Amino acid sequence: MEGRCVVETLTEFGFSSESCSLRVGADVFLSTGSDEVYVFSDQNRELKAIILFPGPVRDLVVNEDKQTLYVACCSGVYCIGLSSLPSRVQSSRPSSIVPHMKISGEHLVIREEGVLALLLVNSVLLNLRLTKTSWLLTRYKIAEESILGSYERLGSFNAPVVSDSGHHITDERSERRPVLFCVHSAAAPSSSSLPSGHVCLEPVLFKVLFGIDAALAKSPVIFCGLLDGRLCFAAQRLPGSQLRVLHSLEQPVVFVGASAGTRTDPAECLVALGEQGKVVLVTSKQAGPEGGGIVAAFTEVTGSDLLVLDLSQASTGGSEAAMGQAGSQKSASAPQNVISLNVCRVIALTKHAWNTDGRVQLLGLSCRGQLQRISLPVGLQDGGSSQPPSSHVGRSIRDVLSAIGDVYERSSVLKASIKSRNQTLKHLNQVLNISFLLNTEADGRTLAPVQDKPIRCHATTSWSTLLQKDSLNLKCVLDNGSSYVLERGWTLNITAFPMCDSPEGESCSKHYSFPFHNLHPGEKLEISVPLATAGDLSVPCSVSCSLTFSFSGLLGEEAVTELPQGGLVSLPLNTLMVDWLHVLRVLSPADAKRNATSQPYDVTVADTIRAFLKSRCGVERDAGNEQHSATIKVSSQLLRDMLKPSEGGPEESEAVSPNVCISLLDWLLCEGHGGVKMQGDKMALTSPVVHARAPNGHTIKLTAKEVNLAQDRAVEREEPLVIVEVQIESSSLADVCGMHHAVLRRVQNLLQKAPDKPSSTIQMQSLCVREALQRAEKLLRQLQQSRISCTFGEGVSMGKVTSCLLNVYEELRGNENSLLII
Amino acid sequence: MSNERQQSPSKLSDRWIQENNELVNKWKNREPSSRDQNHAILLLSSEFHKLLRKIQGLPLLEDHTRLELCVVYNVCLLSIALSQMSEAEMLLTQTMERVLQMTSVEPMASSPPEFWRTVVTSVENRPFQSSVQNLLCVRWAICLANCTLEAIEGLQGEFSSLSAGLQQDISEARRMSSNVPLLVMEPRKLLELLQICTLITQGAERLNEGGSSAALTGLQAASSLPAPRTLVAYTHLLSGSCLAHTGRPQMALQCFRKAVETDFLCVCALYQSVLIFRCLGNTQAEIQMLRLLHSTLMLPSTSEPFTASDQIFSVSVLLRSQALRSLLFVPTALGVLHSLAQKCVLHSRVSEGVECYLDLLAAIRSEEHSVRSEDSHLPRLPELYLEAATSLLMAERPVDCMTLCDEVIATTAELLPERVVLEEPEEGVEESAMCAEGEQDRVAMLFWTGAAYLLQGHCCGHLQDWKQAVAHYTRCINLLVKVRVKEKGGQPQVPTPDVCNEKRADLQILQRMKGLSLAGRGISFAQTDQLRHAQRNLQLSLHAFPENVGARLWCGEVLWRLDRKREAAAIWEKTWNISIRSAENIPVYLREPQSGPMLDSAELRRRIRELDSS
Repeated sequence: MEGRCVVETLTEFGFSSESCSLRVGADVFLSTGSDEVYVFSDQNRELKAIILFPGPVRDLVVNEDKQTLYVACCSGVYCIGLSSLPSRVQSSRPSSIVPHMKISGEHLVIREEGVLALLLVNSVLLNLRLTKTSWLLTRYKIAEESILGSYERLGSFNAPVVSDSGHHITDERSERRPVLFCVHSAAAPSSSSLPSGHVCLEPVLFKVLFGIDAALAKSPVIFCGLLDGRLCFAAQRLPGSQLRVLHSLEQPVVFVGASAGTRTDPAECLVALGEQGKVVLVTSKQAGPEGGGIVAAFTEVTGSDLLVLDLSQASTGGSEAAMGQAGSQKSASAPQNVISLNVCRVIALTKHAWNTDGRVQLLGLSCRGQLQRISLPVGLQDGGSSQPPSSHVGRSIRDVLSAIGDVYERSSVLKASIKSRNQTLKHLNQVLNISFLLNTEADGRTLAPVQDKPIRCHATTSWSTLLQKDSLNLKCVLDNGSSYVLERGWTLNITAFPMCDSPEGESCSKHYSFPFHNLHPGEKLEISVPLATAGDLSVPCSVSCSLTFSFSGLLGEEAVTELPQGGLVSLPLNTLMVDWLHVLRVLSPADAKRNATSQPYDVTVADTIRAFLKSRCGVERDAGNEQHSATIKVSSQLLRDMLKPSEGGPEESEAVSPNVCISLLDWLLCEGHGGVKMQGDKMALTSPVVHARAPNGHTIKLTAKEVNLAQDRAVEREEPLVIVEVQIESSSLADVCGMHHAVLRRVQNLLQKAPDKPSSTIQMQSLCVREALQRAEKLLRQLQQSRISCTFGEGVSMGKVTSCLLNVYEELRGNENSLLII
Repeated sequence: MSNERQQSPSKLSDRWIQENNELVNKWKNREPSSRDQNHAILLLSSEFHKLLRKIQGLPLLEDHTRLELCVVYNVCLLSIALSQMSEAEMLLTQTMERVLQMTSVEPMASSPPEFWRTVVTSVENRPFQSSVQNLLCVRWAICLANCTLEAIEGLQGEFSSLSAGLQQDISEARRMSSNVPLLVMEPRKLLELLQICTLITQGAERLNEGGSSAALTGLQAASSLPAPRTLVAYTHLLSGSCLAHTGRPQMALQCFRKAVETDFLCVCALYQSVLIFRCLGNTQAEIQMLRLLHSTLMLPSTSEPFTASDQIFSVSVLLRSQALRSLLFVPTALGVLHSLAQKCVLHSRVSEGVECYLDLLAAIRSEEHSVRSEDSHLPRLPELYLEAATSLLMAERPVDCMTLCDEVIATTAELLPERVVLEEPEEGVEESAMCAEGEQDRVAMLFWTGAAYLLQGHCCGHLQDWKQAVAHYTRCINLLVKVRVKEKGGQPQVPTPDVCNEKRADLQILQRMKGLSLAGRGISFAQTDQLRHAQRNLQLSLHAFPENVGARLWCGEVLWRLDRKREAAAIWEKTWNISIRSAENIPVYLREPQSGPMLDSAELRRRIRELDSS
């Protein structure tokens, strides 16, 4: 427990970031990879200024001597004099605004794109960048401050990119940066205090590693830790010097340094850290003249703790304990000599100062934007095993408590994220089940009746009058018959489109979407959509329902953009059909009487006038006496068989025979067909004649009567064939057509359900087939004639052709020619 | 309706012409700062590419062909300036295919020269003929930049007819100057450049193949062409090289002089003159030339030779032939300074030499000299130090010499090996580079340290501090005895003179250094009247390195003093009769010291005569 360190939060920046560079001069400079550099005053503990650059900042370096700041940005390297920084206005208000400084092109001193790292060695500025084929380390001579022009280029070193690591580098280019580091020989006379990023190395090790020439020229040596794991070096000012590889870590290098080296006490080993926690020490242990041994220690990655690694145990020659400097994702708990400092989530770290009592102070930035001063415990330097004095106990308990708090905070965040992930998975499971269910229905059993789908829609039509306008509403009910919950993210889509083109020639389909929350098994969702007003109704009309699921709510917007179709899954449900029978308004017998005088149903004054006008037109049309009709014949035996359940027991079938007509009409008008039902006051039908009003205002007469065919035709039969004739009469041809279609469709549906009875069809064969054929041939002739006259006949007017065709149609639909459905 | 359709592209083409001209004018009116040139070209190139994509979106029609070809010309020149030859070539071929399609000539899948001939004939007497000719110039430039001289020869006929065609074009352009797309570089200027650059490249290639006289005629014709100064200087330079190859060094020197007169920054001519003087053995002239070369190289403007501000690309893009490049090679300033220093020291201009060496060391230790990989043929830094130290000793500055030697000794101090075995290099087998390098470094380090001690001994001798001198010589000897020699298949042993053959440079150095240090110690003993020790040391010295004249004479002297006068006389006689091999390749610090106590040969002869007469 003696490995406690004091963490003091200096300020909070309130951002969270993955990577960050931190430099300490008189002030603290930090950048988070965005366009901004923050200047923080350590003494006043306040943000001094924010410097805005034209692009993302890659690296920055401070020149203490000349009081300048160099910043590598997208388009090159900028130089900013620290004296020119705006200072906070000296006002009494403590919360004065932090001054911003915008950097423009005049501060650009080196125009080079893609500079990744900077290093300042005396009066030479080095920058590292990556071209297509090589890493380029270029030297520039710093010009005097008075002439802030472009800097003179002094040549460059290059190291070819290793082919297989190329992709890796470009992918992660934005996140990771290579590391630059400068090593001086202790024998060389240079400035007494070395800035950060520089270290003084013991002369023998220096000579062994970098050669006699570098030592003789007293040249500093530049180290590059590249992203492919290579550790390269070059003597800074030796003629003909080249970048050479010292070692390869085989993982991106995140730190190069040395065990605490100062001028008086030069470092005895170099340390390099890899991203995945590999630590390489370079010492002259088994020195001799043949070269330093490289001792490597491996550690695992667990998170982002700050750790201390005692190098004296790894290398018997060294005695100094060095900080396992940690950037993001640093090494962790494997070998026995690694001590965790229990400081979590530090993403950038720099050496701050040496206290008077020999404590090491570090400056760290946590991933949530807290700038922290971390004071290492003194005991560490002595191997970390000494008993702390009792006065320190109280403090260390406080430290333990704060560490516990820290760990608790971290664990609770982790817990929350795990919980939300589980929930998301559960949700996804439901979605998958539902889509599987609906898809197998669609793929496997396409012929199965619609009712078999566990999740389906059915609908009811109803007329409502609003603002003196009649409009048709469709009430859709989504029935969740499955055992799964339809949770948040599902949307019910309803598309209504008329089967025939509207008179204007445009297909006017309508879409409605209803997002909904939880729909548990067995629950129903009711929605109501307006289909049309009475005037512009176009039936039959197909209403298709589908369910859509959007992943964006579940996974977040970014993840969704990579999914196909924008993260939307669409599952079709069933398709409903609204036909003429659904939009009829049945008139009571009293109304029907009134209707006989072709008076409209409405009684309001405005409508009366309109109705009057309409009726005038109608009279004119009626003057031509155009009453259209169509007939459908169905075997009454079939009807009896099929409509039985609604009528009652089978034994009654004979007794209720006159009721077949009524029950047929009842079935046609009131039963749900194709999932759609007509809503309205259920009036009991008493007579087999029904008057109804079509949406366009015309009256339709629907008559059903039972006819004995055998008597009628006087054909010899063993058993009389009784049929039901449904006659549709109206003054509007369109109504007749629509009604005929609707009735026929329903009867056809009925037929599909009926069991086969081959015997009755055989009986039919003898029955006036010949006659029917003759009639058909006659009609065909008529039809052909009218077509020929249409194409060739100049003398025949269009009206004549039309009336001819109409004639044929009416005869086809009429009583004589209609086919019998058995 | 049809009227409208015809009008819209022509209006669009007006807009495109305007856009093109704005870009060209922006380029021509930019601020001439050489550093940003590349960046500016890059930007301009992308703008032009955008424009070209717009234009090529339409099928090629007769009325805007000229515009498209002009833009292609501009784009290609910018690509060449950015050294993107293959892109320029591809664009050129595509454009010509479009032109052929428009003129409804079937593009044949034939060789490039045939293809171009088809193009040129198909556009004859068309309004855009001149634009196609401009593109032919571009084609020429690409061939030249790619160093494919055969391709240029294949189209020689078309190229030579270009200049007449371009002449016409100028007058035509003046006539309708209002609505003409501008070009980033005058085709006329480009053609001039191409002509002279082609002649220069051809000359260099021929010279490389040994056809000096053929090359000479071409180059002399080229020297009268109108061209930038730099290029004219090159023609003179190459003519000079041809003459030097055919054994006419004086005429060659004349040519080099002309080259420098034409362009005073033509450093390669200076360097070639240095080489000629070196061949002629005219050391004084060589030293002068080296001095001139060094001062020219130190001028700030030589680092970036041809960037005329109005040209879009530098001539060096067109001069890429390997043969030419080797002719234009110039060592770096540091290299020149080193050879200058060496020459001065070796040819009795010691004080100048010392200055040069000190300049050289100062340059290396300064922060701001530029590091170039071409500097790698400078000697290793310890050797430079030792050479400088020797020059200081020769200039009678023994204290400074001692300081430099101290520095070398201090640097190598902790790294000296306990024992070194020199193995005979095995022929045909390449050792792994790293291992050999490490081994060589250790041996070299030992030799450097030894030489430093030797020089310190000489210094002490110079200062008449004999006791100290003996100490330094002894350190040197102690180092050298650590070296064992291993014969092939044998055991490591102490080297003897008979194993020292010509091929083993390291052994020669070892024996020479041993001989010199033993001789030095012997002479020092002689000076302090320790004649027995002196005699043994001198004998051993002669055993290791028999050609040491000083040691022989001193050996005789010691014998004389020991009253063995007959033996002494015999040794002296023999010394005057042996022939000395030239020491040109021996490092200057391993030569016999010129500064120690000397014996006068005339005096010795007089003594012999006296001995004989007595």
